[in-house]
Amino acid sequence: MGHGHHIEIKQENFVVPAKAKRFAILMMVIGLVLTGIGLATLGGSNAHSHDAVAHETEAHAAESHQENHGGETAAAHESHEEAHAEAHGNVENEKFGPRAAFHAEEKPAMTRFWANLLVAGFYFLMISLCALFWVAVQYVANAGWSTAIKRVPEAMLTFIPVPFVVLMLAVLVAKTDLYHWAHYEHLHLGPGDAGYDKVLDGKSGFLNSTMLLAFPTILVAIWYMLGRKLRSLSAQEDQATKGDVSFFKKSIRYSAGFAVLFGFTISIIVWLFIMSVDAHWYSTIFGVYNFISTWVTAISIIALFVVYLKKEGYLAIVSDEHIHDLGKFMFAFTIFWAYVWLSQYLLIWYAHIPEEMYYYQIRFEDYKANFLGNLILNFCVPFLFLLMRSAKRFRPLLVTIAVTMCLAHYHDIWFNVFPGVFGPGMQIGVMEVGVYMTFAGLFIYWVLTALTKRGLIAVNHPYIEESAHHDVGV
Amino acid sequence: MAILDKNLSLRNRNKMLVGVYEDEDNVMHATQSLVDAGIRVHDVYTPYPVHGLDRIMGIRRSRLARVAFFCGLTGLSLAVTMIWYMYVHDWPMNIGNKPERFTPSWIPVMFEATVLCTAFGMGFFFFWRNRMLHGVKNEVLDLRQTDDRMIIAVETQEGMDEKSTLELMKKHGAVELREFHNGVQTIL
Repeated sequence: MGHGHHIEIKQENFVVPAKAKRFAILMMVIGLVLTGIGLATLGGSNAHSHDAVAHETEAHAAESHQENHGGETAAAHESHEEAHAEAHGNVENEKFGPRAAFHAEEKPAMTRFWANLLVAGFYFLMISLCALFWVAVQYVANAGWSTAIKRVPEAMLTFIPVPFVVLMLAVLVAKTDLYHWAHYEHLHLGPGDAGYDKVLDGKSGFLNSTMLLAFPTILVAIWYMLGRKLRSLSAQEDQATKGDVSFFKKSIRYSAGFAVLFGFTISIIVWLFIMSVDAHWYSTIFGVYNFISTWVTAISIIALFVVYLKKEGYLAIVSDEHIHDLGKFMFAFTIFWAYVWLSQYLLIWYAHIPEEMYYYQIRFEDYKANFLGNLILNFCVPFLFLLMRSAKRFRPLLVTIAVTMCLAHYHDIWFNVFPGVFGPGMQIGVMEVGVYMTFAGLFIYWVLTALTKRGLIAVNHPYIEESAHHDVGV
Repeated sequence: MAILDKNLSLRNRNKMLVGVYEDEDNVMHATQSLVDAGIRVHDVYTPYPVHGLDRIMGIRRSRLARVAFFCGLTGLSLAVTMIWYMYVHDWPMNIGNKPERFTPSWIPVMFEATVLCTAFGMGFFFFWRNRMLHGVKNEVLDLRQTDDRMIIAVETQEGMDEKSTLELMKKHGAVELREFHNGVQTIL
């Protein structure tokens, strides 16, 4: 990095190595086979045997029981337990009755497959959107250092339509099994009818099939158009004369527009697709929480692609300094993820209000290993490793942590959906692994192909020189 | 005050050769050629950070990160001790029927105390180590080093060719050359 060394900025054209192609296709094939095995072993009905339903009902009864009588003595508690055993046939009237009933509902076995598509579609849609957001943020913040790697997120954002189509397919086919509110909407109940649910009725202005179709479609279409615009401006800039900043200035304006729009509207997508899985429950920070989860994943994936391209001999002007900064981003947003996670948990834990509690109750009591594992893999492990400077600069370690984070945050989204849809007793199985691998293989193939569509270096970007000389110091 | 870096002080030193520059590129080139010629550069004073200068001068990585880590640990243990003493030991409190042992409500306090001690500790130790604490007397080579000039200082050693050192500084665009000894500046 010594001064005075002139760094020549040369255009590079990426060709997907045959090995990478084979790897991505193999991943897709294995993924499809595993998904097939998962589908074949589903059986005719859903995962809940009648025992499981009974067990769940009791569990919920006991939960609400503790809820009401937490401070009482053990003896009183026992007597309540007995009294309760007689009454628990009448689950519907329990505090969590409607939800338990929805979980106990006989669902087609395929629901698990659709739920998997919901999780994978959402995860990859959000990652592609976050890549677009990354591009926009770099423009709005006037960032220079990241110019050398900007073609990677630009390639990632082209993936937006694919997971979106899958996601919409999943929710449209299976919405009544995935979402309690959609199931309820289907019943057309009015006040006074048996099974009338005041909460779901009150939310029906927002949580309804029209909204589920219209809102995401309109928003994703606008976001994607802005993304394509930024991408095409970036491509036109390559052809323009050096020193022409008109494309750069235009990009800033589009980026600012996108960043504001995205910032305000991303929560809506998260509410509709993920939060409405627990239809009675709500959390105001939920949108931010899901966004950060996928945002930190997107940054990890950018780091993975950059390290890979470096390994293949591309991105000559990218140095350890850029990779170090990507590592810092991963570190910072790992902490922020934990911050947001705790912000949501702490308030609900402190207030101890039953209708807020049940989101954590089911996840803590019936999924303790997932609950704690989620925290350890998404926070403790990346935090402790990325704390070291050497971990951010030593590529094998950085890659290991980035891959861990990609998987762990997938679990984070999975963990928001599955206990809400199916109740207790679900675990990551062959199908979950299969669907993830299929998507990941497709994503890798797609992004690598998109990278070949234009030069790897934004040679005429006004900050490319600054980026080439980027130095974070000793 | 043992942590105060005596090496940074200009007092009780051999004669200093001082080059004044107006441009950061010139400073970089001059420093590089001095280092290449085997001359130890005492320090370079610039009004703003000049990227790459640290590498040229061969400055080792700052230990501030380690200081930050231990300040953070101190803050964390202070917070835990404080909460435990107030909330569990001295006057056990029942708030919303939450247990007295470690609960999530401890975490924000632990977090804030960690951040507080880290930030304050880093600031304090940074200033201490760099002789910038209030009351520490320092010689300043040129007041403009905090404004629009950049200063290279080379400490003369036994058997050093002062003339060629000054020429080297001049060659790379020094606008002024000076000597500094025992608080007295001589313009050359």
